[in-house]
Amino acid sequence: MSVVVVGAGLAGLTAAADLAARGVEVTVLEARDRVGGRTHGIEVAPGSWVDAGAAYLGDRHTALTALMAELDLKTTPTTMTGASRFALGDDQDGHRTRAGRFPPLSAVALGEMFDALDELTRGLRVDAPWLSADAAALDTRTAAEWAREHLRHPDARLFFPLFLGEMMAADPQDVSVLHMAFYLRSGGGVRYLNAFAGGAQEDRIAGGAHQLCQRLAAGLGGRVRLGEPVRAIRQDDDGVTVVTATGSLRARAAVVAVPPSLADAIDYRPGLPAPRSTGRTAPGCAVKVHLVYPAPVWREHGLSGWSVNARGPLLSTVDDSPQDGAVGVLTGFVTGREAHRFAALPVGEQRERAVAQAARLFPGLPRPIGFHATDWVNEDYSRGCYAALFGPGDWLRLGPRLVTPHRRVHWAGTETSTEFFGLMEGAIRSGRRVAAEIVTTYGAEIVTTHGWRDNHV
Amino acid sequence: MNVDAVSDIFRRVLENAEVSADSDFFVMGGDSLLATRVLSAIARACGVELDFDDFADAPTPGALAKKIASMA
Repeated sequence: MSVVVVGAGLAGLTAAADLAARGVEVTVLEARDRVGGRTHGIEVAPGSWVDAGAAYLGDRHTALTALMAELDLKTTPTTMTGASRFALGDDQDGHRTRAGRFPPLSAVALGEMFDALDELTRGLRVDAPWLSADAAALDTRTAAEWAREHLRHPDARLFFPLFLGEMMAADPQDVSVLHMAFYLRSGGGVRYLNAFAGGAQEDRIAGGAHQLCQRLAAGLGGRVRLGEPVRAIRQDDDGVTVVTATGSLRARAAVVAVPPSLADAIDYRPGLPAPRSTGRTAPGCAVKVHLVYPAPVWREHGLSGWSVNARGPLLSTVDDSPQDGAVGVLTGFVTGREAHRFAALPVGEQRERAVAQAARLFPGLPRPIGFHATDWVNEDYSRGCYAALFGPGDWLRLGPRLVTPHRRVHWAGTETSTEFFGLMEGAIRSGRRVAAEIVTTYGAEIVTTHGWRDNHV
Repeated sequence: MNVDAVSDIFRRVLENAEVSADSDFFVMGGDSLLATRVLSAIARACGVELDFDDFADAPTPGALAKKIASMA
């Protein structure tokens, strides 16, 4: 066998499909009993799926758009009509209804916040953030410290953690200023990353984002093996031996396509010259909640389902009802510090709190007929979502080796892509990049039609 | 603040030189996030703090300049 790919998420499967298409013999090892990684579908009514993980795309996500075309998948727009609900005051009952999505906060204060973020991201070298001017200073401080220094208006201080939670599933204490600035630039800038229409949340994938990996895996057939957590990767002059819980595979090269802290959990011999994560690297803090109702009742009250809330558990909600109208689905985002708190609750209490909050936000809601909470923070084989959060010091330490192979071990995953880091687009671009890297590095020796093949498996 | 000064802010925020006195910010590709940056620039330039609804009511440089004049 030629190449072993570790991880059947979007990055690993994209890489494997690319390699297979070029005649490379490839095996994908996946720890879970499913493919998809941080994309995952939940069937909320017969034939109606919602995204428990990654969901959105926009027109700049060109690799994803191309992959969807290859896999015969279509987009569905995230159009929002109706008024929004906001609970941004201190009191539980301080709910307000407003036309559009703009919160009842000082527009000037929020403008100053976006001005400050724009200034921060402008000077950044997005392809190599650790080489940016002021990188060392920006990498030392947390986004929370930055906010204390730069945001004076109480409305900006209230909104900033909600904004960061929504944009990157981060608590401001968890990320360095450099990582925040990098993430916002990498995703296309604050405006693009924030926007539904004309931005990164313009569309969803009709039928669910999980179909990307399912269809890629179907194309790879028996080359994808589930329930095979990789424990160790040994190397010698001729190749790699990838050790799983049940056996081992010999290959010319390996692609590790898992988040940084999981990549570090593999035992490498010889060892890595530098780790893939540090003690300051935090999991993306997101729990995604789906409340399923017999119908999207909020629409009858002129509401879009969009809400933004200063108090949890649901810091924002959005109408994710399937287009066939079979049920009404309210998706709630629990992010940042709130995600850790919520994830620690028993599921019954999670349900009660989420249901009660939704009822306060949207009058006339019946009891939900379904409840799903997807806790990505404590998911063993993801360790966070949307993506790993680089804490103070991480970019300067980890950045220079982000994509540098460890001899015959190569790296993929959305966290290795400086373009659209943390998004499906970044994952796909990393898969394409690593497949090209493998072909360039090993050339004819791995293409089965040109000869070399081993007999170990 | 006159129409020309507001137009300049539109041009900078929208990164689009084709702004005239009656260009509608939202038709020109602006959204609510970019609108806040127009409002912060106006507050810096002349001290008038408009809210988002003011802007939504008067989304052209001409209308916005009038609104600023009425509040200054």
